[in-house]
Amino acid sequence: MAVAKKFSVWICYLLVLLLLPQFFDTVLAISIFNQMAIAIVFALSYNMLLGQGGMLSFGHAVYYGLGGFLAVHALLLIEDEIVHFSIIWIPLVGGVFGLLAGIFIGSFSTRKAGTVFAMISLGIGELIAASSLIFVGFFGGEAGVSGDRTFGPPLFGVEFFQDIEIYYVAAAWVFIATVFMYLFTQTPAGRMANAVRDNPERAEFIGYSARYVRFISFCAAGFFAGIAGGLFALNYEFITEENLNAITSGRVLLMAYIGGLGYFIGPIIGAVVLTLMNSLLSNYTELWMLYLGIMFVLTVMFLPRGFAGFIMMHQVAWIQGKLKNLLVPYLKTGVPGLLFSAAAVAMIEMSHHEGEAFEYLGFTLNSHSPVAWIITAGIAGVSVYLIRRSIPQLQEAWEEANTINDADGDQP
Amino acid sequence: MSILSLKNVWKKFGETEIIRGVSLDVERGEKHAIIGPNGAGKSTLFHLISGKHTVSSGEITFNNQAIHNLPPYEINRLGLARSFQVTNIFPRLNVFENVRCALLWSNNYRYSFWHLLGRQHKLNEEAMHVLEQIGLHDKAKFPAAELAYAQQRALELGIAIASGAEVIMLDEPVAGMSHSEAENAVSLIRKITEGKTLIMVEHDMNIVFDVADRISVLVYGEIIATDIPKQIRGNARVQEAYLGEVPADA
Repeated sequence: MAVAKKFSVWICYLLVLLLLPQFFDTVLAISIFNQMAIAIVFALSYNMLLGQGGMLSFGHAVYYGLGGFLAVHALLLIEDEIVHFSIIWIPLVGGVFGLLAGIFIGSFSTRKAGTVFAMISLGIGELIAASSLIFVGFFGGEAGVSGDRTFGPPLFGVEFFQDIEIYYVAAAWVFIATVFMYLFTQTPAGRMANAVRDNPERAEFIGYSARYVRFISFCAAGFFAGIAGGLFALNYEFITEENLNAITSGRVLLMAYIGGLGYFIGPIIGAVVLTLMNSLLSNYTELWMLYLGIMFVLTVMFLPRGFAGFIMMHQVAWIQGKLKNLLVPYLKTGVPGLLFSAAAVAMIEMSHHEGEAFEYLGFTLNSHSPVAWIITAGIAGVSVYLIRRSIPQLQEAWEEANTINDADGDQP
Repeated sequence: MSILSLKNVWKKFGETEIIRGVSLDVERGEKHAIIGPNGAGKSTLFHLISGKHTVSSGEITFNNQAIHNLPPYEINRLGLARSFQVTNIFPRLNVFENVRCALLWSNNYRYSFWHLLGRQHKLNEEAMHVLEQIGLHDKAKFPAAELAYAQQRALELGIAIASGAEVIMLDEPVAGMSHSEAENAVSLIRKITEGKTLIMVEHDMNIVFDVADRISVLVYGEIIATDIPKQIRGNARVQEAYLGEVPADA
């Protein structure tokens, strides 16, 4: 019983991973789940650098992409019957190559953290992205390299023609990778990574070389990014230069940041949210990147600890059973907030569509109609007024909910 | 035999000579205080011994081994631990983790990524023991950044002593503390450095004359006297350097 309780979070995580396709079984859903699986491993590996090790990398896609390229080449080798193993091990091939790349690049880039590390990571990222168009034999030029996952030996009769079969392979890898990345945080190397992030100077005076501590985290992050790249290769059966360029590096930074760097679960939330936005929102609007950017800016400004940090902020209120007291104030601010967002989006979309009528939340909008502008602007204005009026109440309710009742003087 | 020995150590930053030919022998087990006016180079001397700065010339030996070319982490591994004048802890780790990290190397965990810390019962007990010594055992789960100033100074000490180093160097351990806090800190320092070698920089003369077995006076990068407290108090050059600041009643 105690064991079940101790591992309850992990059991839930495994169940969610296994049962998701039972509830959403469309082709689109499975495709999104596969993307999420890849993104979760990638974002968690990124957080080993930034959140846990204090290394701001602008080139983490290098290890993801290189792992992915080697994974596709491994698929080709299987296809040519040069090697013979089940394709479920492909992510491990990616991981090992990510690790090797991490060892090589980390050996000189982890000397310093901060700006120096960030600049080196950016430089290496550009360098590898440029080489991918130069060394066409390995990277396949602009078209990339493609393989076929169905040539491998079948596993229990499964030949991996369908995405759902890949999903279960990916889910298993996501679970294993998450467990190991979590366990890493509980080891001397993982904990010293936090110490070096907090204070590299002091770490050196308790016997640890800050550089070597960073190097270990860096290699581990490279390994898991390579696994994510291998999952990508397995899912899409092709890989291009886009998978290791700065845009992919930037996207993983966004995922980890929006999710919350300070929490192990943060990057998982970020990966899920951004994958959903990426695949669902892009069906509705061409401007989804704009909304993503706005969301990032708002997160940095108002939720510096990310979505996970926002959830954890409610711990005190939750423990005291005062969470329900926050419900009404949240609604009073949240509903006008949603209305404002809806109106703002309507105005942005009207400016974008210039004269064309389009469907929006069940209404037909046209930028040439003054009525549409007046109504949306009106809604936005009223919402702002309501938000401003309700915020003091929200602050009051928040403080009340976070006041610790029993004065046991535990505060320092 | 001296445990730590400096021979004609110089430190220049560009043209500026901060440490000018310091020679000093610290005996095993003694409590040695370094005093001197502001800007005399006391902290720089600490940084040279502990490896934060490299010497411009001269030699520093620890247990007869030259250490002046070693990085801080290697000097620490030999058994020389230090605290800092400005609180220098791991702010986002909790108090327990701060101390446990300081215990890792001396317990031979090195850069292990195959030990789970939660299962290292001896290590965890040792960390709790250090917390009890420094009086922070009830704050074990607090993020270090949230501690009060005096508590952070105690944690600073705890990190320095945790590894069980032979030589403990404390840079102004009671700076900025109230009188009663300082008194507590001094009794704590006595307790935790028992049987060890202590090298201490401190401005508070009451504490220096109370704790130290010997005192070295550093003025403009030179040691002008090293002696027992009684002799230092009567030393004319020292009194001159302090412009009579060393009170007769201290």
